[in-house]
Amino acid sequence: MTTPHSDSRSTSLLSRRHVLKSCASGFGYLAFAGLAHEAAAARDGGLAPQATHFPARAKRVIFLCMNGGPSHVDLLDYKPSLNQHSGDSSPIGRGRGGAKLLGSPFRFAQRGESGLWMSEVFPELGKQADELCVINSMQTDLPNHSQAFLQMHCGSFQFVRPSVGAWTLYGLGTENTNLPGFVTINPPSDNGGARNYGSGFLPAISQGTRVGTNQIPAFYAALLRKDQEPGPPLKNIENKNLSREQQRAQLDLVRSLNRHKLERDVHHPEIEGAIESFELAFRMQDEVPDVLDLRSEPESIFKLYGVGSGLPTDRFGRQCILARRLAESGVRFIEITAPVGWDHHFLLKDELTKSTLATDRPIAALLTDLKQRGLLHDTLVVWAGEFGRTPYAQSGNGRDHNNKGYSIWMAGGGVKAGLTYGATDEFGYEAVEKPVHIHDWHATILHLLGLDHERLTFNYGGRDFRLTDVYGNVATEILA
Amino acid sequence: MHFDLVGLPPSPDAISEFQKRIESDGIDSALAAETDALLASPQFGERWGRHWLDVARFAESSGKEANISFPYAWRYRDYVIDAVNAALPFDRFLIEQIAGDLLPYDNDADRARLLIATGFLAIGPKNLDEMNPLQFAADVADEQLDTVTRAVMASSVACARCHDHKFDPFSMQDYYALSSLFASTKTYFGTAVSPSNQIGGDPLVLPVGANAPILHPSIGKQRVEQLKTQLASLKKEQQDRIAAAMKARQSGGDAEKKFSIRDALRIFWTSGGIEGQLKKVDESGQALPLAMGVMDRQRIVNSPLLERGEINKPGQRIPRGFPRVFEIANSPRVPFRQSGRLEFARWLTHPDHPLTARVMTNRAWRHLLGAGLVRTMDNFGFNGERPSHPELLDTLAVRFMSDGWSIKKLVREIVLSRTYRQSSAYHEDAFRTDPENRLLWRAAKRRLDAEAIRDAMLVVAGELDTSRPVGSLVGTKIGDRPISLIGLDPNIPADLDGSKHRSVYLPVLRDRLPDVLDLFDFAEPSLVTGDRETTNVPVQALYLMNSSFVQSRATALANRVQREADDHEQRLRHAFVLCFSRAPDAVEIKLAAAFFEAEKGLTDKQYQQLLANYCQALLATAEFRNLD
Repeated sequence: MTTPHSDSRSTSLLSRRHVLKSCASGFGYLAFAGLAHEAAAARDGGLAPQATHFPARAKRVIFLCMNGGPSHVDLLDYKPSLNQHSGDSSPIGRGRGGAKLLGSPFRFAQRGESGLWMSEVFPELGKQADELCVINSMQTDLPNHSQAFLQMHCGSFQFVRPSVGAWTLYGLGTENTNLPGFVTINPPSDNGGARNYGSGFLPAISQGTRVGTNQIPAFYAALLRKDQEPGPPLKNIENKNLSREQQRAQLDLVRSLNRHKLERDVHHPEIEGAIESFELAFRMQDEVPDVLDLRSEPESIFKLYGVGSGLPTDRFGRQCILARRLAESGVRFIEITAPVGWDHHFLLKDELTKSTLATDRPIAALLTDLKQRGLLHDTLVVWAGEFGRTPYAQSGNGRDHNNKGYSIWMAGGGVKAGLTYGATDEFGYEAVEKPVHIHDWHATILHLLGLDHERLTFNYGGRDFRLTDVYGNVATEILA
Repeated sequence: MHFDLVGLPPSPDAISEFQKRIESDGIDSALAAETDALLASPQFGERWGRHWLDVARFAESSGKEANISFPYAWRYRDYVIDAVNAALPFDRFLIEQIAGDLLPYDNDADRARLLIATGFLAIGPKNLDEMNPLQFAADVADEQLDTVTRAVMASSVACARCHDHKFDPFSMQDYYALSSLFASTKTYFGTAVSPSNQIGGDPLVLPVGANAPILHPSIGKQRVEQLKTQLASLKKEQQDRIAAAMKARQSGGDAEKKFSIRDALRIFWTSGGIEGQLKKVDESGQALPLAMGVMDRQRIVNSPLLERGEINKPGQRIPRGFPRVFEIANSPRVPFRQSGRLEFARWLTHPDHPLTARVMTNRAWRHLLGAGLVRTMDNFGFNGERPSHPELLDTLAVRFMSDGWSIKKLVREIVLSRTYRQSSAYHEDAFRTDPENRLLWRAAKRRLDAEAIRDAMLVVAGELDTSRPVGSLVGTKIGDRPISLIGLDPNIPADLDGSKHRSVYLPVLRDRLPDVLDLFDFAEPSLVTGDRETTNVPVQALYLMNSSFVQSRATALANRVQREADDHEQRLRHAFVLCFSRAPDAVEIKLAAAFFEAEKGLTDKQYQQLLANYCQALLATAEFRNLD
C-alpha cells in the first residue's frame, strides 16, 4: 500500500504506463485487458484506500455549505455591544463612511451545558450545542462571492486548483468502490461552478459527482402532493436493454480500446479519467439506486428531518437524509449546498429567518441521526459559508459582505465539542483573537482526517502542490 | 479542424478527397482550400454562432426562482447564426445587438432583423418574483450593463454598482453614467403575469411585412372580443371593490371584506393572463410575429447615483456617458433625445478602444487552441491573468480590425498558422517544464463540447438532420410557463431531447438543460461564458452506457454498417472508420473480433443486438469525444 505522497504516487502512475507498454501487444494485451475490475482498481490506486500520515480522527466529511455568506453576528457570534450601539455611526470598516451599526434583530441565549451562545433562529440546533465546536474568528481573502466561494473550496481563487473534497479523496481513497468517493448535492453553477468540486491537476476520478438538482417549487409540490424532487436524483442509472454480463463484455471492449489509445498517447489524463469513471459507473449501477432511494426510510426519520409535502424543511431534509445514507455507504466526502440563500443585503430579519427555518431542523436531525447510528464520532460535520456579514447596515435592514471575521462550526470526528474558539472585536467586524484563515481551516480538516497538509502533495509541472499552498496552521486547540 | 470550424466530424469521403488534394496540390494549398470550404459552409455559423451564444448567456427561460420560459428567444439564436454565416463584420454585429432598434433600415425584413438582434439585451436572467418594479428595472439594467461590458470588454464594470471598483479603474460615477443608457431603454421579454410571474413583460412586435414565422395560434375576432369584455369586467370589478372598500373604511366598516387580498390577486393574475393573450394577436385575433428585444423609452433619464446601490438612496444625477478610463478622441457624444446605446456601441467598436478587438481575438484563439492567450477569458482586469504572448495578441487584434473585423479571416489566419498545425504529441522534457502548454509546444488535447459529441453521434449513425428547425421546443411545445412544471407534461421528453437536428437547436432552459448539455459541461446560460469547463465524471459514463439517446444512435449506426458493408469483418472495420476517421490497427481488429467470438450460434436478432453493443462501445470510447 502506498502512502499518499507525491513521489510514490507518481512512480505508481509511471509504472502503470510501463505495465501497459509491456503488455500492449497480442494475447498478452488481451489477457491484461480482461483482468477483473477489482484488480485493476487496486493497481490504478485511483480509489483504493490509502494509509494516513497519522491516526485519523474522522473517516469522512459532511460539508453543509451555506452559499451566500451567513450573518455570523445574527447566528453564532453574540455581540451585546453591537446591540447597545445599534444606530450609531459605524467606527469600523468601509462602514466608517457613514453606515450605521445594526444590532441583531434576534435574541441570543446560552445553550446546552457548554453554554454556547446561539441565536433564537437555531432552536433545534441549539439542542445539539454540546456537539458543536464554533469558530468565531474565521477569515478569508476577499469579500466577493465567487472568489471567496472558490477559496473556501480550493484554497485559491486565482488558479484552477483541486477542491478540498478531491484532496480528501486523493489522500484517503474510498471505502466503497461502488460509489463515487466525493458526492456533491445541489451545487451552485455560479461562483466558480464545477471548479468547486473539480479535481484540478489531481486524477480526474477524484472530482465530485453532482446529484439531484431536479425540483419543483414547494408551492406546487404541496398542491400536487408530489415530492419536491421528483424522479431519481441520478439519471441513466439503469440499462433497460442489456444484462449485466452483456454490459460487462461491452465495457471490457471500451476499456481495452481506451487503454490501447492511452498506450499510444503516453500522457492523456482525460482518457485515464474516462477509464476509471466507466468502471465506477458500471459498479454504481448496483448500489446507487438503493442508496439514493429514500423510500426505505421509516416515517420517524422523515419526521425527524422535517420531510413532507409543503414543509419548508422538505427539500433540505431530503438532502440531509441522502447525505447520511451516502456517509453510511462509505462515501468519503459529501457536500450539500443548502437550497436557500444567505446573501442578505436586504430584509435581513425576514430572509434570514426563512433560511434558518429551512435548515435548522434538518441539520439538527442529521447530528442526532449520525449519533444514534454511532457515526458521529468519526464523521466530521462542517457548517460554513464563504464569509460573514458586516455589523453595520446596508439598505437600512441588511448587511454587506465581510471577509475579516466570521463564524463556522464543526462537529463530530475529533473536534472538541461544546467549544467556542477565537473571537472578533466587540462589534463582530474583524477576527482579533486566534484568527483562523481558510488555509488554517483546511489544514485542520486534513489533520482530523489523519493527513498532514504539508505532506499531502501532488507533483505537477515540476512543483509539489498542496491544498494549503505555502500556508496553513492546524488549530490544535480545537482537537479533542 | 472539422470539429473546430463546423463542430462535425469529416465524412470518410471528405477525408479521402482531402488526401488526394494533398497529393496533387501539396499540404498548404489543400489545407487552405479545406479551410475556405468549411468557412463558407452554413455549419460554420452553427458552430461559431454557438460560441457567441455562450458569451451572450443565451437561454430560453428567465432562470432564478420563477424560471418562466421565453417563447421567442430562439429568433435571437437564429440571428446570431445567420450573422456569423453572412460574415457580418464583428463591429457591426456588436452595434446591431446593442442598438439595432436605433439603426436605419431598408425594409421590413431588415427592420425585423435589427430588432431581433437587440434580443442580446433582453434574454438575460430575470427575477420575475420581484415585487418591487423599481428594483426589477434596476436589476435588468444592471444585468444588461454587466453582460455587455463582460462580453465585449471582459471587464466587470458592474462591480461599481455599490462602490468604486476595488481593483479595476471603474468608479460608481462610471457605472451610473452607463446604467442610465439602459434605464432609458425598455426591455421586451414577453412573459405574461401569472401566479408564478409577478412581472409581466411585453413582447416586441415585428413588422408584419418581414414574414417571420409565427409559432403561436391565432384566436379569431370573436375570442378577442370575449377576452376584452372579460378584461373590462375585471377592471370594473376592481374599481367597484376599491370604491366599496374605501367607503367601508370611511364608515368604520371592514374594508377587507369588500376587497380581500384574495380578490386582488385573482384579478391581478387573471387580467395579467388575458393581457398576455391579447398582446400576442392583432385586433382581428390574427397571431402577431413576436420577438424579444429592446427599444428606447419615451422618457430618457439621467439616473441618480444610488448610495451603496440601494434603490431608496438616490443621490446626485449623473449625466449619461461611458467609462472614463478609456478616453477615445472623437468618440460620439450621448444625444439628448436617445438613450445613447448607439453611441456606446460605436465607442466600444472604435478602433482606438483598447479592449474590444483584443477580447474577441482572444476568444477565437481559445476556441482553436484550447486556452486563451489571456486565460481568464472574461476578465482582462487586474485580477485576471496576464497574456502569455502579449505581442501576438496585439498583432492579431490589430490585424483583425484592419481586416474589417472579419471573424472568418481571423479564424483562417490562426488555423493556417504553424502553431495550430502542430501535433499533440507528448514530449517528456517539454511537459516537465510547461505542463499547461502555456508556451504552445504542442496542439492541445481537447474533449469535444457537448454539442459536438451529440452531433457526431448523429452524423456517424447517418441520422443528422442538418436543416434548421423552425423555432425550438420552447417556441413550439413549451410556450410561456414555469420550467419547474414541464417535467409533469408527458408530451415533453424527460431529457428534452427527441430531435435529430444539430444540438445548437436544442432548448436552452436555465437550470433545466437537456441531459447531454448538462452532463458534458455546457456553458452556464446565466453567465457570460468564454471558457467552458471539462469534467470527467461517472454520470457522463452512465449517459453513454444507458441513455436512450445513445442506445438509439448505436442501433442506427449498427443498421448503417449492416447496410453499407457486406460481411462481418467489413462491418466492424467500417464502424471504426465512421467513428474515428481512421482504420483500426491490428490490436483493435483483434479486440473487435474477440468481442464477437465469445458468442456462438447467434440468431439474426441476437447478432444485430451484439453489433449495436459493439457500435455503442465505439461511441463510448474516449477517442470518440477527444481531439488529438
